[in-house]
Amino acid sequence: MTAHEPDMIALSAYLDGELGVTERRQIDAHLATCAICTAHLAALQTLASDFDRLPQEKLGFDLVGVIEGRLAAAPRPPQTKPAPRWWGLLPTSLGAAAALTLGIGMGSILIGGSAAMPRMAAMSVFDTLPPGGLCLGPESCYSKGARK
Amino acid sequence: MTTEIDDGEDEQFAARARMGDRPAFERLVRRHQDRAFRFILRMIGSRDEAMDLTQETFLKAYRALPDWRSEARFSTWLFQIARNTALDALRRRRHTEFVSLTAGPDEEAIDPCDTAPLPEERLADKQRIGLLERTLRALPVEQREILLLRELEDMSYADIAATLNINEGTVKSRLARARVAVLAHYRQHGEEK
Repeated sequence: MTAHEPDMIALSAYLDGELGVTERRQIDAHLATCAICTAHLAALQTLASDFDRLPQEKLGFDLVGVIEGRLAAAPRPPQTKPAPRWWGLLPTSLGAAAALTLGIGMGSILIGGSAAMPRMAAMSVFDTLPPGGLCLGPESCYSKGARK
Repeated sequence: MTTEIDDGEDEQFAARARMGDRPAFERLVRRHQDRAFRFILRMIGSRDEAMDLTQETFLKAYRALPDWRSEARFSTWLFQIARNTALDALRRRRHTEFVSLTAGPDEEAIDPCDTAPLPEERLADKQRIGLLERTLRALPVEQREILLLRELEDMSYADIAATLNINEGTVKSRLARARVAVLAHYRQHGEEK
């Protein structure tokens, strides 16, 4: 901080008591010898006292009485619940896995193994040739030579 | 400058209010309504609008209480809401306000011919306070809000940083620039009187 260029950032923080001990001491020492910075600090102090003299504006009524009804009607978000831990989900996941395994097992018993064979044998009763020796078409009953 | 409010009690009331205790929230409203109103009024400049916005601030706070964390100071959290509400209102206006640096219509005009009952010092005081009020309204919003939080609300740099969501270094430099701007206005307009 030179005498001709006051460090207003430092002086402003000095005024607010927001400097560390070392910085504060440095500024104390500088102010003792620099009339320009002392004048700038005095201007900042005057400004702060002007703010103190600003009218203390007040609302002038009890706000609770005005917003009471709106508070009662105001939608409140539900209380936030803690996120479930993984072990909290354990009974659900175990149950789901057991149900799935049981379903797959029962399904494979019903459609697989010995139960499938009789069904295939029964299907073979229906041949591609109609019963009773009926012709499928003229080509299979008459030879080409007989046509002529 | 500000009425001392025990923050520890604030946090107790806020914790109870968060659990649905409405009388606890009403206590918080009564403790902070004037501070919130004063800040919004100086940000906005209109008394009627500031009253509405103060109500809006507390209703927003009530709805947002489940988001409040007990490690944050309730007053800082409330001022964040008040500030955002005021900034939204300023954005809604969508026009630039031209602020006269001479006495505004809402202020008590000082008639030089009617100074007899006023002592000179009091007149000078009134002129200076009037000038400060007009200067504040003419400042950019970011300078105005930081001055209000520091000078009127007596907030520490840490609390200002939390309220404005900036770091303390920025608080330090922005506040200094705002003060320099007010002093420049003083020099430019105050000495003309």
